[in-house]
Amino acid sequence: MVAPPTASLSVRELTKRYHAIDAVRGVSFAVAPGEIFGLLGPNGAGKTTIIESVLGLRQSDSGSIFLNGIDAQAQPVQARRAVGAQLQFAALQDKITPRQALKCFAAFYPESTPAEKLLAQFSLTEKADVTFDSLSGGQKQRLFLALALVNQPRLLILDEPTAGLDPQSRRELHGLIRQLKSDGRSVLLSTHSLDEAHQLCDRIGILHTGRLIATGTPDELISRSSTKPRLTFRVAQPLDAAVVGALPAVTARQPHHGGWMISTSDVNRTISGLVQTMAENGNELIDLQIHRPSLEDVFLELTGRDWTHSPSTDPVRD
Amino acid sequence: MNRGALFSGLLGHFLLTLQLNLRSKQALIYGYLVPIFFLLAFGSVFRADTPPLLAEMGQILTISILGGACFGLPTALVAERERGVWRRYRLLPVPTLYLVISTLVARLLIVGSAVVLQILLAHFIYRTPFPVHPGQLVAAFLPVAFAFMGLGLVVAALADDVPAVQALGQCFFLPMILIGGVGVPLVALPGWTQRLAGFMPGRYAVDALQRCFTDPLGLNQAGFSLLALGVIGAAASVVGAKLFRWDTGRRTTRTTGLWLLLAVLSWIAVGAAAAFTGRLQPVVSDATSFDTITAAQMDAITYEDLPGDNELVTRLSPPFSRSADPRRFDEFVAKLTAWPPAQTGEAGQKVRNLLSVAAIADIAADLHEAEIGRAVFDELQERVARDQLRRILTWIILFPDAGNVITTAPELGLKRHPPENIVRERSVLYAKKYLGRLLGKIHD
Repeated sequence: MVAPPTASLSVRELTKRYHAIDAVRGVSFAVAPGEIFGLLGPNGAGKTTIIESVLGLRQSDSGSIFLNGIDAQAQPVQARRAVGAQLQFAALQDKITPRQALKCFAAFYPESTPAEKLLAQFSLTEKADVTFDSLSGGQKQRLFLALALVNQPRLLILDEPTAGLDPQSRRELHGLIRQLKSDGRSVLLSTHSLDEAHQLCDRIGILHTGRLIATGTPDELISRSSTKPRLTFRVAQPLDAAVVGALPAVTARQPHHGGWMISTSDVNRTISGLVQTMAENGNELIDLQIHRPSLEDVFLELTGRDWTHSPSTDPVRD
Repeated sequence: MNRGALFSGLLGHFLLTLQLNLRSKQALIYGYLVPIFFLLAFGSVFRADTPPLLAEMGQILTISILGGACFGLPTALVAERERGVWRRYRLLPVPTLYLVISTLVARLLIVGSAVVLQILLAHFIYRTPFPVHPGQLVAAFLPVAFAFMGLGLVVAALADDVPAVQALGQCFFLPMILIGGVGVPLVALPGWTQRLAGFMPGRYAVDALQRCFTDPLGLNQAGFSLLALGVIGAAASVVGAKLFRWDTGRRTTRTTGLWLLLAVLSWIAVGAAAAFTGRLQPVVSDATSFDTITAAQMDAITYEDLPGDNELVTRLSPPFSRSADPRRFDEFVAKLTAWPPAQTGEAGQKVRNLLSVAAIADIAADLHEAEIGRAVFDELQERVARDQLRRILTWIILFPDAGNVITTAPELGLKRHPPENIVRERSVLYAKKYLGRLLGKIHD
């Protein structure tokens, strides 16, 4: 099978079944050089199954996978040599130190990044000789990211790299992932965080029950949405529903925390109308927020399900 | 893949495994503290022996190797699998089997260091002599470790978690300790248990290791034991490698049972081969057996069935003092006197070894078979007290299948290798001829 010439990773018609359940159903996507591609989906959408199939940890039932032009199913060892990966469900021995781990893993590759350089790059120099079990969650994830880079790969595959991290550690890791992109590396990133996908990824593939239901840049996906912008506001004196409904360009309205939430086809006109109505009635606008359509809206629109209540399809994990 | 990177990677993994082992309390407990505990336990029971613990070193070392292989190895493997370490290893550009082998080699070194530690501690605490064949001890250690680490791999493949390792490991450990001739010596076990032990690798491990400590011939007579360990180890290693699970998500499959059957079959095959070749005869304690021989038992021995001294079998020359040229056989006598199996400290075995020489010469129809028979008789009288020699000869006559016999002695010019059962049979005939003479029932 011939790989697309330019893609760092190319996945075609990948399927994976667990007994009677289709965990991944004909998924196709490609990651271009220097691109961060996000696999976005709720828990159980099939992200980890795809990533583990790409890495050869699972045997797919059908489909093709090319890593840097190498057929990953026919030449798994060669393919693994060309990729760096961080797994969601993996750890190191309690008593191993970051320096030992980096040196041990690097030794398997003909060309590798020196441990000292990686320790410095990932702010682990001070922790180089402490045992793994004494590292914080963020430090552990930074170490895994460093391990993914020991073989100087052009393609990195990161499975939920920020899962379980505190906000500070998450921000640090986001910075490191952006740095990887600026170094010219390609990244396949799985996440169930809408914000993370929006902030980090050049393109996103939205997964739902094993299917890739949409692919595009975050802005493209959002622009395709038919969801209207929403305004939420509170006023000093209660407003009648009829008054709210009469505001310009309003398409829907509902009470919201003592105020109103309205959908509008023209944000500017609606806000102008609201301000004018307040002035005419001697009322006062206390609070006003604009909610543009988000990836969550895109998901809701595509699946008919709320993001946080999407069902799990993978009986093993993810 | 790049051979240099492969070698340096596996070397790095091997050294890392050793380092992590030394940092793990659990590994130190299983690897070193438990063996020392067993050494001290044996020492508290057998310290009055002369020399102390020498006769039990095979058992003690087998327990250490068994513990390290059946508990230490799978505990480490399963703990790492549970943590996801092996999932991370799978991302390396190296077949997983290579990393398993690297782990096994590291474990071999760990278990080997525990064995050396035990030998040193036994020597310095109890004055237990060092093995008479240290080089052969290394040669015996390797197949013993191979057999038991194969079992450890099977345990690791079957156990879903660390507590399950303990349960499964005990399934191998306890039977071998209690009825397999490892913890409780074979002589203390009933006959059916001794035969059952012939189907377990522990018995062969003890035999091979013990010979390196006390048998002047070392491993020369341990061929079957080494082969048995090799067969069991090979089957277990193949099964363990085939069933190896690098991920907790991978469960045993329907074919697991068939693979396990292969491992079990190797035990059955070894036991059956041992039974078929007469190696599962009752083992009787030398010390207690000939010491308890009574005068009545001695008197009950009959001599009518003995062939004459000049007949076809069991020829025996007149005493050398009456020979025309008593010095013409001095060279053989000198060799026999210096022959290591005749030096062994255990009197019963010493007599059996010397009787074997007469028997082999007789079976081989050696030109000097009659003189060799006489030389052996003289040597026995020279080396063993008369009363003890009578009882030992009686015991050998009454229990022809007990103990070990030697079936070849090229260093004495006896290069033939007759079957063991015929050597035993002729040994009994010579024993009768000697006993009859010692008791004055046969005229010399």
